Amino acid sequence: MNPFFERDLRMTRRQFFGKTASGLGVVALGSLLQQEGFAATLQRARGHAAGAPALPGLPHFPAKAKRVIVLWQGGAPSQVDLFDYKPNLAKMRLQELPESVRAGTRLSTMTATQGKFPILPAIKPFRQYGECGRWMSEMLPHIGSISDEIAVVRSMHTDAVNHAPGVTFFLTGSQIPGRPSMGAWATYGLGTMTDELPSFVVMTSSDEKKTCGQLFFDYYWGSGFIPSKYQGVQFRSGGDPVLYLTNPPGISPELRKGVLKDITDLDQQRLADYGDPEIETRITQYELAFKMQTSVPELTDISKEPASILEMYGPDVTKKGTYAHNCLLARRLIERGVRFVQLMHSGWDQHGNLDTQLELQCRDTDQPSAALVKDLKQRGLLDDTIVLWCGEFGRTVFAQGDVNRHDAHGRDHFGACYSLWVAGGGFKGGTEHGETDDFCYKVVKDPVGVHDMQATLLHQLGIDHERLTYRYQGRDFRLTDVSGEVIPHLIA
Amino acid sequence: MVVVRLFSNPVFGRIVTSSLFAIGIAGFANTLVDRGVAPKVEYVRDIQPIFAAHCQQCHSATTKMGKLALDSAQAVLKGSSSGTIVTPGKPEQSVLLDRILGKGGQPRMPMGFGPLSDKDIATIRAWIEQGCDTRGAKRAHWAYVAPVRPKVPAFPNSHWIRNPIDSFVYKKQLEAHLVPSPEADRETLIRRLSLDLTGLPPTLEEVDHFVSDKSPNAYDQVVDRLLASAHYGERMALPWLDAARYSDSNGFQQDGDNYQYVWRDWVVNALNSNMPFDQFTTEQLAGDLLPGVTTGSIDGLNKLVATGFVRDNMLNNEGGAIPEEQRNVELFDRVDTCSTTFLGLTMACARCHDHKYDPLSQKDYYSMLAFFNNVPETGIPSDTIGGYYIAKPWVYAGSSDEMAKLHSLEPATTLAEQTFRKFEKSPQAQAEERAWESKASKDAAIPKEISAVLMVASEKRKSDASNRLHEYYLANGLAEPGKSTRKKWLDLRKELEDLKTALPKVMVMSDRQPRKAHVFSRGNYESPLSEVFACTPASLPPMPPEEPKNRLGLAKWIVSPSNPLTARVQVNRYWQLFFGKGLVKTPENFGVQSEPPLNPELLDWLAVEFREGGWNVKKLQRLIVTSATYRQTSKVSRALYQKDPENRYFARGARFRMPSLIIRDAALASSGLINLKMGGKPVYPYQPKGIWDGLAITDERDFTYPQSKGSDLYRRSIYTFWRRTVGPGNMFDAGSRQVCTVRPSQTSTPLHALITMNDVTWVEAGRALAEKVIMSGSHDPMARLSDAFRRVCARRPNSNELKILKRSLDRSLAAFRADPKVAETYLHQGERQPNASIEPIENAAYSNVCAAILNLDEALTRE
Repeated sequence: MNPFFERDLRMTRRQFFGKTASGLGVVALGSLLQQEGFAATLQRARGHAAGAPALPGLPHFPAKAKRVIVLWQGGAPSQVDLFDYKPNLAKMRLQELPESVRAGTRLSTMTATQGKFPILPAIKPFRQYGECGRWMSEMLPHIGSISDEIAVVRSMHTDAVNHAPGVTFFLTGSQIPGRPSMGAWATYGLGTMTDELPSFVVMTSSDEKKTCGQLFFDYYWGSGFIPSKYQGVQFRSGGDPVLYLTNPPGISPELRKGVLKDITDLDQQRLADYGDPEIETRITQYELAFKMQTSVPELTDISKEPASILEMYGPDVTKKGTYAHNCLLARRLIERGVRFVQLMHSGWDQHGNLDTQLELQCRDTDQPSAALVKDLKQRGLLDDTIVLWCGEFGRTVFAQGDVNRHDAHGRDHFGACYSLWVAGGGFKGGTEHGETDDFCYKVVKDPVGVHDMQATLLHQLGIDHERLTYRYQGRDFRLTDVSGEVIPHLIA
Repeated sequence: MVVVRLFSNPVFGRIVTSSLFAIGIAGFANTLVDRGVAPKVEYVRDIQPIFAAHCQQCHSATTKMGKLALDSAQAVLKGSSSGTIVTPGKPEQSVLLDRILGKGGQPRMPMGFGPLSDKDIATIRAWIEQGCDTRGAKRAHWAYVAPVRPKVPAFPNSHWIRNPIDSFVYKKQLEAHLVPSPEADRETLIRRLSLDLTGLPPTLEEVDHFVSDKSPNAYDQVVDRLLASAHYGERMALPWLDAARYSDSNGFQQDGDNYQYVWRDWVVNALNSNMPFDQFTTEQLAGDLLPGVTTGSIDGLNKLVATGFVRDNMLNNEGGAIPEEQRNVELFDRVDTCSTTFLGLTMACARCHDHKYDPLSQKDYYSMLAFFNNVPETGIPSDTIGGYYIAKPWVYAGSSDEMAKLHSLEPATTLAEQTFRKFEKSPQAQAEERAWESKASKDAAIPKEISAVLMVASEKRKSDASNRLHEYYLANGLAEPGKSTRKKWLDLRKELEDLKTALPKVMVMSDRQPRKAHVFSRGNYESPLSEVFACTPASLPPMPPEEPKNRLGLAKWIVSPSNPLTARVQVNRYWQLFFGKGLVKTPENFGVQSEPPLNPELLDWLAVEFREGGWNVKKLQRLIVTSATYRQTSKVSRALYQKDPENRYFARGARFRMPSLIIRDAALASSGLINLKMGGKPVYPYQPKGIWDGLAITDERDFTYPQSKGSDLYRRSIYTFWRRTVGPGNMFDAGSRQVCTVRPSQTSTPLHALITMNDVTWVEAGRALAEKVIMSGSHDPMARLSDAFRRVCARRPNSNELKILKRSLDRSLAAFRADPKVAETYLHQGERQPNASIEPIENAAYSNVCAAILNLDEALTRE
């Protein structure tokens, strides 16, 4: 039990009710607390209640990072067009991808039976960015402007060829739903840094026209078999940001506070009579709920952000539910002690609309992603906050659909290689990791599996991925299942 | 052979000899402070589980850090790279003890984890002291040996004991120097019973009746009434639905709905009719394989519907999904669900490799999978009906009237068609058609595309043109009696099709597509290894030889007397239902890594009683809830709490927060809003605005939440539509219904408080409760508040509590008087209109207090 946390709780209790509010229940509790031993029981109860301290022994070693922001690019962005520069492909446009290159790679049923596999080079030119001179698409000028902050992995690979299994794999370590998600593991292991906000927050957005069709299921931020208090809490863009946050119409905060005191006094009577520490836990939770009713609206109110900050994130930032708005909220959450923020953006599934949609997607996400990194940096938060930009897999170098029609072709799902980037939290800016073959089809150097990436993220948080385990059904489960190796090259 | 195993706790316990049992409660405590030797620590029972739980992750034959393995007795005695770790008889000279204590300048073990408990350390110390005996190290894990009915300990002078459960509990309590708590008061007892057995609070009349009923069998009568209640099945179905991962939709993109609610109703009915558990198991796993089962009879149909249990899996309909991959994912899920639900086995570990702890090989896993591998299914949905996406095989499953209609319409339609076809081929009909054709070729009213066909000589017409002409003739030119004959057929056909569209289509099991099964290398379906055949795990007793090697044989094996797991696993879950935790704390795992039960004799006695008693569920549950153990008060003294914080000795009643589905039911019931209609299509009670909007990412389907109207808003929670991708927002801590769940989540978070404080469900229930007590006649605020409190908590509030309630009422009255408009606003939450005869400020104030009562810890808790 963390004594400071304990002290805070008790002080808060007094502030909450004011000095004059010592009802009979409080007196009864006070006398109980004087009794030897019972106080310890209550302390334990409170510890369980408010989310909690880190597990004993954690972090396993000094942590480089305390917090994580996942910028999830759902639908799977095309590494061929954005990050994995293959200038020679331009000359081979619409030539058949050699069978020798294709052999043995898993494809989705949408193209597995396709008769032709015409090479489709990047649809827009690449250019070099930053002092590191990294090649990236000209469609990503803002991410380009943080080129020296980010490490790019070009050799990611995954077993999945479909969205839900792919997303589930990256975010929970297994393709089959039901395992705890990364955020749940992190908060379970490292504990909470705030008791006014949930420690694991999720927000969603999608491309404006909803062309992508990818859904976000709650098991992407679930807690699986570890206690459900570790699951991500979704902040919504419409209505209450947190479900049921607002008092029913007609109940003022003052009246609610008064009634909460009445409930607490009655609960404390019961505690005195029954001695069950769970009652104390419940009282604490009702108080925290009341606090959240103030802290969440304060968090989501961006009206006091200076114009210069809003400008950084781009014109969409003031529109609730957009990726840009969520990026700004992510920074505000991190500032307030939230441990893990997961932005789920959908928009990259360009099977048949690559020419029309890819650029729009880049426009929607490029500036806010970069702004978030810059904003964190200028506040000194980037050093101990990891920002991960990635999707569930990549896309095929060959075309899907009718290449002669501008608006009727694209690329299919592709798991054998893809790219992601990561910044902050001790990751080495300007680093490149891994290589693919000339056709952007197979990893030829330094392959990185999903579990390797997860192991590296946990490592930066001070967690040995093999030792953060949870016993369920008699087995010690971990995020990385039975594999995963930290990638030293990526970290400083 | 009767084996009495004295699993005494080596720290708390002292072996109690039978001569001590004659002493009554008053004298036992002194007597028990005996000067006997410390109980014998057994390696297999006491030491092995500690090593398995805390050490073997780094110290096993495969990991062997520091060259030390602790997964076999031999290796333990051999020691590490730096020599032996135990010195028999000399704990102080044993490196093992130093390391777990963190002595000797070396890091404390287990490194990176919390220290071992004092109890575990004391057990290891005692084991070394007693000479490091590893005898019996090869003995099978307790749960893999079939339970034998233990002798019931006799305590002839105890006035506390009511049935054998109490004898076993009492014996453990004595060993730990504990005494049972007194019986709970009657209000608590009837509320506890009602919530446990039906998920509904008692009515005031029921409470009054029980409190004033002085007859000796008053308690038993309440138990019998509740066990016979139709709402018993609804309550008992909830944990079963979690185990069966039951949901009303498939759980992926487009998240198509399904009709599995018919299976849910089957479960409720089976539980209500007290179907023996062996039958309950057999029908759900293999109803389709039972002799004589067809869709033709209601009984046969029910047995098919029962197998919906196996088909309640998630179903992936994403674009590009590889069907065979998905089919295997579903098979994995079925193996896991079946082995967890019935056997408490963690088969999933053996999907990629042999199980590390339990004697389950990868071959065992795929041999189990083979039982489920012969279903004529592709792995992805095969049929789309509106928003429903279902996969074959499925059956129509309507009411008996609907099924009767289906069974009469089908032959009638066929017959009508045959009659017409016969007529169509008759010379008379053909002559009529030719006559019509020659007339029509001159008729200007005939559509162009038909007259174009008529221009061509009949023998030169192409067959599709010819068909088009013929269809046109049938629809427009047919004369009597052909016209009526055809109309009769078409009408019947339409009626049949409409009926079929409307009927629920339940996904069920079938073995009509035999397939070969293989071990998959590392669980990858694309890397099959050797072929396997349907079989139960080799290390467990074999399948009865006379049974077929299919799901029916599997079911019979599960419920055979030689199966060591099934009965224990079930009684443990019933215990969990009534005490919040199982006798084995890991209901999902009875394997080597499970926590051994503190009271194995009680578990075994209950298991044998259950099995030998004909798997009679209600009888077993009746035994539990009529025990003195169950009837104790859940009040806990400081001393008792310190001695037994988790209530493992059951020296007090259990007190735990109710499942959220029941919290909602209880609020609706106390306020009188509840609609107790049973069964049928799921309903859509209040959910936050736009709860499913996140799913509507494309125009593929409309995900507007179709909120129910009127009394459907107040149906019991079990009937709430469960969307697998986004569960109901106000039903917290429930199983995800994505994978099998047998251990309920019991967390307490601020988000739960927000739900019961702010959700319109509770706000409206608060108002309904307020109006009920206001309209009940009394004008005395204290009487009204007391009445409201009683309807929720079953007891009367004491004077202090009443004072606080009155203070709350005055607080609310003052607030609403200061701003009468907000009182009106507050009263208009939810669909139900406020009672216009009640003065709005008064109504709002009472409503607010009643909503607070519904939020008391006591209201959310089953005491």
